[in-house]
Amino acid sequence: MTSLVLTITETLRYRGKLGQWAWALHRVSGFGTVVFLIMHVIDTSWATFYPELYVKAVDAYKTPLFTVGEFALVACVVYHALNGFRIALFDYRPQWWRRQEDAAKLVLLGTLVLLVPAFFIMTGHVVNYYNERVSAFDLGLEKVVEATAPFAVGTVVVIGLALIVSAGASLIPALNAPKKRLKGSKMETFMWSFMRISGILIIPLVFGHLAMMHLIQGVFDITRVGHVPVFTNLGPNMNETLTAVNFVRLRWDTMLAGVYIWRVYDILLLFLVTLHGFNGLRYIINDYIHNRLVNRALRIASFGTMIGVILVGALAILQSVPATTAEMLSEASRAIEMSINSGILVR
Amino acid sequence: MQATIRIRRFNPEKDKKPYWATYTLQDCEPTNRVLELLHRIKWEIDGTLTLRRSCAQGICGSDAMRINGRNRLACKVLLQEFGENPKIQVEPILGLPVIKDLVVDMEPFFAHYRAVMPYLVNDSPPPIGPDGKPRERLQSPEARARYDDTTKCILCAACTTSCPSFWANGAYVGPAAIVQAHRFIFDDRDQLLQERLDVLADPDGVWRCRTVYNCTPACPRGIQVTQAIGEVKRAIRAGKRDY
Repeated sequence: MTSLVLTITETLRYRGKLGQWAWALHRVSGFGTVVFLIMHVIDTSWATFYPELYVKAVDAYKTPLFTVGEFALVACVVYHALNGFRIALFDYRPQWWRRQEDAAKLVLLGTLVLLVPAFFIMTGHVVNYYNERVSAFDLGLEKVVEATAPFAVGTVVVIGLALIVSAGASLIPALNAPKKRLKGSKMETFMWSFMRISGILIIPLVFGHLAMMHLIQGVFDITRVGHVPVFTNLGPNMNETLTAVNFVRLRWDTMLAGVYIWRVYDILLLFLVTLHGFNGLRYIINDYIHNRLVNRALRIASFGTMIGVILVGALAILQSVPATTAEMLSEASRAIEMSINSGILVR
Repeated sequence: MQATIRIRRFNPEKDKKPYWATYTLQDCEPTNRVLELLHRIKWEIDGTLTLRRSCAQGICGSDAMRINGRNRLACKVLLQEFGENPKIQVEPILGLPVIKDLVVDMEPFFAHYRAVMPYLVNDSPPPIGPDGKPRERLQSPEARARYDDTTKCILCAACTTSCPSFWANGAYVGPAAIVQAHRFIFDDRDQLLQERLDVLADPDGVWRCRTVYNCTPACPRGIQVTQAIGEVKRAIRAGKRDY
């Protein structure tokens, strides 16, 4: 922790150029996005597993505090995406370093150019919502607490368990041998490339996701009567009783050219963003937490949470595949199996 | 011309923690260097002020310190840069243990330097000259130019101690060690390429660099430090010198 405090105070004191501030913003925005990601994936999975909890979560998302958080989130994602592109570019073309400061300025400008219209549209959603509301303005603090408390408790429990595991691991001598010399790590080398390549792949996916879920329609539209979720092709008749759960189903069940387009899209986004985000978290842990026991505990906790988020997210998307489709798929595979057995098809 | 200098001072035998001391000097010239002001304070005001310097010509790399918030060599900074009646703040470089006042323990820094094997390794017999005797290994001007920039390093630690990754975690080998490794990785006479790349692909090697670019402007020799680190990363991923 002292190393984190030192880095923060000295980053503020050292007269580094723009690159230093770009790095600091990149860390903060990335960390903020990961924290939201954990909550968002688990909340959305409830649309499949515990529909009534999902309805509650979306209700909490509409409270003013979450609205402020949504603006901050969009700002974080946009900055992180553009600055990440800059870092990847200069990492692959180190000889262009003279232009990095200009690039950092362009990133700030680009963030502003994207955020001004985005915030304008998002403000429009907020204003509409409060205009249509009949009930009095409500800060909804208890909803916010109800929506976030399980995550706070979960974080404490997961870190507590990880500390126990880590304490157990510290009894194994092989895991605690001091490092003798520097040795190449294939994993670290791979992750370095993965961070850059996944980051670039994520940019179009996440911008599309932001456009669909925060701009063209907002969180307030999820339960708006008569609202047809954008880029879905299932009739509006279902929407007359649009619930949050229904909204998710309308999206995921939409087919384009025989493919559940939004299921594929969301799974891709889920895998890339989760792996990218949690590896970033690992970097932060290894940079600032040096106590062996705590460092290992946090890495275990973060790895476990990553696996959990991916599993829960992927299962929610796959388990909600309509029964008829699942039957069709298994029938098709049976047919293929039979034709192979009868010699019509050669494996 | 009057100059005011604030110095971060610390005497482990007396002080619990570092403190700021302010000194005012008269009759300064715009062409005075910060090092000369520190000398005057030590010689005329307080003989206990402790600092390191050797050549005072920007070559030996002994007097790297944080001057007005940035890592510089005290012997290369002229007062005229700070305008009329300058106010200057001087503190030790960050990330290495302070021994006294502006003197830090450079041992962790040199340990990282040694870890990258900063010497040419070539076990093949030397070429034979026209006179039938062994002679030096010749190198083309182009091959020599490939690593020219990183031969300029004077190991002053200004780059390494400007890096937020190094502040956070002293296990990181740091920019200076990578610059020194670059000098041998891209030298085509060297035979230790794979071992060098292996050392730097350690989690505490180049991968701790987050491309912050603090090291490049910190270098008093104008070495393109971040570019050198970037080139080493590319060589590691390609597994060869000419990626």
